[in-house]
Amino acid sequence: MIAAAEGVVAATLVAVLFRLIAGPTTWDRLMAYNSVSNRGIVIMAAISVTTQEPVLLDVAIVYAMLSYLGVVVLSRFVERGQVHR
Amino acid sequence: MIAAILAGIGCALVAIGTLGILRFGDLFSRLQASGVSDNAGLGVLLVSLMVRGGWGSEDWGLLILLALLLLTNPIATHSIAKSAFTQGYRQDRP
Repeated sequence: MIAAAEGVVAATLVAVLFRLIAGPTTWDRLMAYNSVSNRGIVIMAAISVTTQEPVLLDVAIVYAMLSYLGVVVLSRFVERGQVHR
Repeated sequence: MIAAILAGIGCALVAIGTLGILRFGDLFSRLQASGVSDNAGLGVLLVSLMVRGGWGSEDWGLLILLALLLLTNPIATHSIAKSAFTQGYRQDRP
C-alpha cells in the first residue's frame, strides 16, 4: 500500500519536472521546485517509515526547512533584484 | 484500513493537483493547483503514514514534518504570487 503511494508520488514528481524544465516564466520554475521538494520529502518520510530507519525522517525535516528557505529567498530575489531591504 | 483509505485519497489529490500543474494555462491557476496537491494531498499522505500501526516513537517526527509543511507551503506560494504580481505578471482576462 505504501509502496503504491510512493510510486504515485514518484510518478507525479517526474511529471512536475516537466514544468520545472519547460515553465514559461521564472515563477513557474519556482513553483515546480517547491512541488518537487515537497514530493521528495514525502517519499523520504515513507521510506523511513517502511524501512524502520528514523534517521531519514530527520533528514526530511531539515530538507523541508532548507527548501522552504530557498524558495522564499529566490522569489524575493526575483521580485526585488536583491534579497535584503 | 483507515491508512489505506487515507493513502488512496492522498494519491488521488496529488494526481489531480499534478494534472492541474501540467494543464492549466496561467501562473496563478497553476499555483492554486500546486496548493491542492502539496498541502491537501501530501498532508493526507503524511496522516496516513501516521495512523498506520498505532502511535509510535517515529510519529512525532511525522507530526513535526506535517506541521512544517502545512506552515511553510502557503508562505512559499504567497511569496511566489506576490513576486509575480509586483513584477507585472497579470492574468489573461477573456
